[in-house]
This record gives sequence, structure tokens and C-alpha cells, in this order.
Amino acid sequence: MPDRVHDLSPLPATGGAAPATARHGALTLTENDGLALASLALRRGGAQPAPFGLTLPGPGGWAAQGEISAFWTGPDQWMIEGHRLAGMDFAARVAAEASGASVTEQTDGFAAFEIRSSAGEAPILALLAKLVNIDPANLASGRAARTGLHHMSVFVIRRAPDHLAVAGMRSAAGTLWHVLETAVARLDAAAA
Amino acid sequence: MLIPHPLLGPRDAQEFFCLGSASLLDRPDGMSDGAQAAFHDYVYLRDNPAGVHRELWFHEQGDRSWLVVTRNTLTHEILGAELARDVALRAKGGAA
Repeated sequence: MPDRVHDLSPLPATGGAAPATARHGALTLTENDGLALASLALRRGGAQPAPFGLTLPGPGGWAAQGEISAFWTGPDQWMIEGHRLAGMDFAARVAAEASGASVTEQTDGFAAFEIRSSAGEAPILALLAKLVNIDPANLASGRAARTGLHHMSVFVIRRAPDHLAVAGMRSAAGTLWHVLETAVARLDAAAA
Repeated sequence: MLIPHPLLGPRDAQEFFCLGSASLLDRPDGMSDGAQAAFHDYVYLRDNPAGVHRELWFHEQGDRSWLVVTRNTLTHEILGAELARDVALRAKGGAA
């Protein structure tokens, strides 16, 4: 028997005691360990629900209302986000709001990183051009896409003109952090 | 090469996986008479045209939908793309 009680507080996906954070120039990169995720898929012919009063967005869209937001992930499929709700049974809450649809817990499958700009949208556009092979015009505010980044599949969400979020496999959280931090740092070095 | 995704607009072909001929959608009925011969033709006797070809493409690093992409195999020109689900439902008689 161990002679002491271990620290049982949950670790962020990057493994440190606190969520990883980095700042380079105008861009601040922060691990979002409070983001709850649940996928929502319609059964064939099922009616589209409006969980928490949120109108689910169309293809490539992202919509937010209070602490809940959602982005389109495929035909009749969405990912529902609960901000600062990772500590609760989020999927059960979503399922209660979407009767007849299939809801699956995804919080523990993903690691999310928020990138905010203190100098408007220009640094975000420059970073997007480095990160993903998608026309930044197709990733305007309120748009989201699933695409490839360093051979990983990621969700890229434009929450605001000066705010980008990237969510990827939690098991690759360290790799994803390295990719994002390197890109942000190089962008700052190139601008200097 | 860009694939004109019917829902998401032009996307890089690297996000996709190409399965092959869209004739794979027309799977024979395994319970019918002559099913063995029909499956032999279905599995082994594929057309491999030099020119316009309809192919199944999977948007693996994207929305994970299957598309039927019409492509010219000689020039790599993409002539169109639609959701394979729409194509299959239309073939079954339009029931949505």
C-alpha cells in the first residue's frame, strides 16, 4: 500500500500541471482544458434538433450561444461544444436536448487549443496560411473545417476574426502543441 | 488537384482517398439467381477507361462523406462531384 494519497487532480492533455500557454508577438496560444465535446448525429430521416436553443449550423458553419456552441462535421452530423463544462457529463446533457439523435461523449478524445490575436485578424490569417491548406476566405468568422495538419486530422474553428481554435486527437496533444507553438513562434520571428 | 466538394467547395485532393470506379455502388443482390456470376463480374470485371470516368472518393480528412467524382483519367480534369449518398438514393428510386 502506498503510504500517501496521490494527487488525483486531472492533468491537461499536454501533461503539465496547468494548461499549456505561449505568447509570441500578437498571438497567444492557450490549451483549452475546459472544453466539453459531444458529437451529435441524426438518424436517417430524423428531425434536426435545436439543443439549448441553438440552431445547428449548415455545412462548414460554427454557431455559438452562451456557453454552448456547435460546428458542422459532416452531413447530418455536428460537434457540440460546452465551454468550461469539461468537468460534467456533457454528453448526457446534450442527449437530453436532442431526443432521437445519436449523441456520443468526445471530451476525452480531443485536445483543444485557442489562438487569440491582439492585433486584429491579420496575424490569424497569416497563421492560417501556414497551418492548413484551406482558403482563409472559407474560414471566416463563424466557419469551421476538418482538415489535415502535419498528417493529423484536426478541426479548425474560426470563433471570431481574431480568434482561432484547433482541436485534434488528445493522444497527439503534445505533437499538436509543438506544431502550433512552432508555427506561431516562426510567424513572430518572420515579422520581427 | 482540387476536388469541388458539393457542400464545402474546392478542397485539396490530398484530403481524399480514392476507392475506384463508382460502379461499386451497384452491388448485385447476393440472394438472387446467378448471384455468383454477378459478383464475379462486380468484383473482377471493372472498366478502366482512358478518358471520362466516374470514381468514388472518400473525404477522409474532411467531412468523411463519399463523393462520386467525374474525372478525365487522361487529363486529370475534374468534371464534377456529387454526394455518393444522393447518387445511390437516386438509383434506388429517389426515396430520400
